[in-house]
Amino acid sequence: MTTASLGATIDVAGLTKQFDTVLAVDDLTFSVGPGRVTGFLGPNGAGKTTTLRCLLGLVAPTSGSATIDGKHYHDLPHPMRIVGSALEATGFHPGRSAQNHLRVLARAAGIDERRVPEVLELVGLVDSATRTVGGFSLGMRQRLQLAAALLGDPGVLLLDEPANGLDPEGIAWLRAFLRYLAGQGRTVLVSSHVLSEVEQTVDDVVIIANGRLVRACPLDELTAGHSHVVVRTPTPQQLADALAAHAPGARVSTEDGSLHVVDADAATIGHIAFGAQVELHELRPASSDLEEVFLSLTGGATS
Amino acid sequence: MSTDTLTAPAPAHLAAPSRLVSAELLKVTSTKMWLGMLVGVVLFIGIGIVATILAPEQPGVVVPRLTTPEGLRNVFGQAGGAYLFAIVIGTMGMTQELRHQTLTSTLLAEPRRNRVMVAKMAAYAVIGAVYAVIGVVFGYVLALALLPLKTHADIPWTAMWQIAGGAVLGCALFAVLGVALGTLIRNQIAAILGVLVWVLIIESLLVSFLPKFGKWLPGGALNGILQATGPNNTSYLPVWGGALVLIGWTAVFAALAAATTQRRDVT
Repeated sequence: MTTASLGATIDVAGLTKQFDTVLAVDDLTFSVGPGRVTGFLGPNGAGKTTTLRCLLGLVAPTSGSATIDGKHYHDLPHPMRIVGSALEATGFHPGRSAQNHLRVLARAAGIDERRVPEVLELVGLVDSATRTVGGFSLGMRQRLQLAAALLGDPGVLLLDEPANGLDPEGIAWLRAFLRYLAGQGRTVLVSSHVLSEVEQTVDDVVIIANGRLVRACPLDELTAGHSHVVVRTPTPQQLADALAAHAPGARVSTEDGSLHVVDADAATIGHIAFGAQVELHELRPASSDLEEVFLSLTGGATS
Repeated sequence: MSTDTLTAPAPAHLAAPSRLVSAELLKVTSTKMWLGMLVGVVLFIGIGIVATILAPEQPGVVVPRLTTPEGLRNVFGQAGGAYLFAIVIGTMGMTQELRHQTLTSTLLAEPRRNRVMVAKMAAYAVIGAVYAVIGVVFGYVLALALLPLKTHADIPWTAMWQIAGGAVLGCALFAVLGVALGTLIRNQIAAILGVLVWVLIIESLLVSFLPKFGKWLPGGALNGILQATGPNNTSYLPVWGGALVLIGWTAVFAALAAATTQRRDVT
């Protein structure tokens, strides 16, 4: 049975990658622990894929390091049994069947080929096993990538935009599957350029923009300090004055004819309004849209 | 639970080098291209042999006649024609990985790039040798069937064995040379066109008309290995000399290819 010690820690330390004229990753430092799903987020071109490729030894860092369990990928004894990865721009020979694609990888990595039907089953591709990949939809290719990542039953999974091309049913399946893998104690790092795509899946986020770290924290901390209470009243000035008098910490702003109050909860505001005999038409806690927070953090530079 | 079986240790029943060679061979046999190439081998050798045996003599160019041992060795040397397809399939062995972006998967399974390169070259050497064997058997049968139509010297059985061995060695080396060239040129169309133009036109002209220089080129060395005699009774390197020169060329390009892949970013 799998144990909680299954996963390993991913460490990125001072990672910098300069491609000719482009500084793709700029002094990036973060770490990712086991037993959690971590979202690796940033707009397209932020440096996510380059960071993952550095972790996998495909791209040589200009400076800094990217290690798994303290080791460089090429120093891992059986890398695919420790790290499973599905990268964007990883292709398939269109004339090779899904099954043979996996058999080639298993053979090269020293993994028992009996694993091939198992992973095809796990990702729901059994019926297409002998079909050539040239006829696969984007979603099926994503599943095949995932199957390849799972071949070595690795404790660490690095998945680059795995939800791309999946239909809503596929995305729901992916979410449940990633939660299940993390629940077994594996380390799961999932990149995405759309926070909403992964916000129901991830425990932690690492957000980068222009190759630099913006935030690395648990997901719920991301919205902390961004929640507010919406209040509608026919006499906004009277309420604002009452709040200023009785809840000096609260910050009040006016938007669309209603008040947005930060740092005071709905019960406090209701109590103050009641005491000041202010008539309320609406009193509603609201959290900022995560996507808005994400966009503000990354400078809105999504594409 | 299906995941319990996932954690079962995978028996590494093969040592790393043979695993990698076997994976490379599976890459080749799991698509259809190698069969198409094999059809090419048979057609190319068939045409070569028919032309050498049945072609009327050309005025001005003295080609060894079938009534001479040199002429007959040239006929059987045509059976080594698989070299052309060996070098092309070797070239594609690497450029296809770049074209279809499968190199990423290959290097994730085995990040030690030198091992991948050596395994690929070994696998394509095997494929080149297999093409050579099939080509030689087909070519010899065809030649022995057609020769009775013409007056010819005694069938050179000993030389035929030597030429067959030379074809196997030559085609294996040409396939490795192809892998190296594909690694260096990278772009599939450029690499294949470059190889074809070089082998079929440039080198072939140099070997035929500037043999003093051409015999030292890979194709000229192969002529030596296959015991061919050129127009106007030009002789090439002796078999052992041709073999050494061709091994030398292959080693140089293989080393260059390995050196360039060591630190190249795979994006």
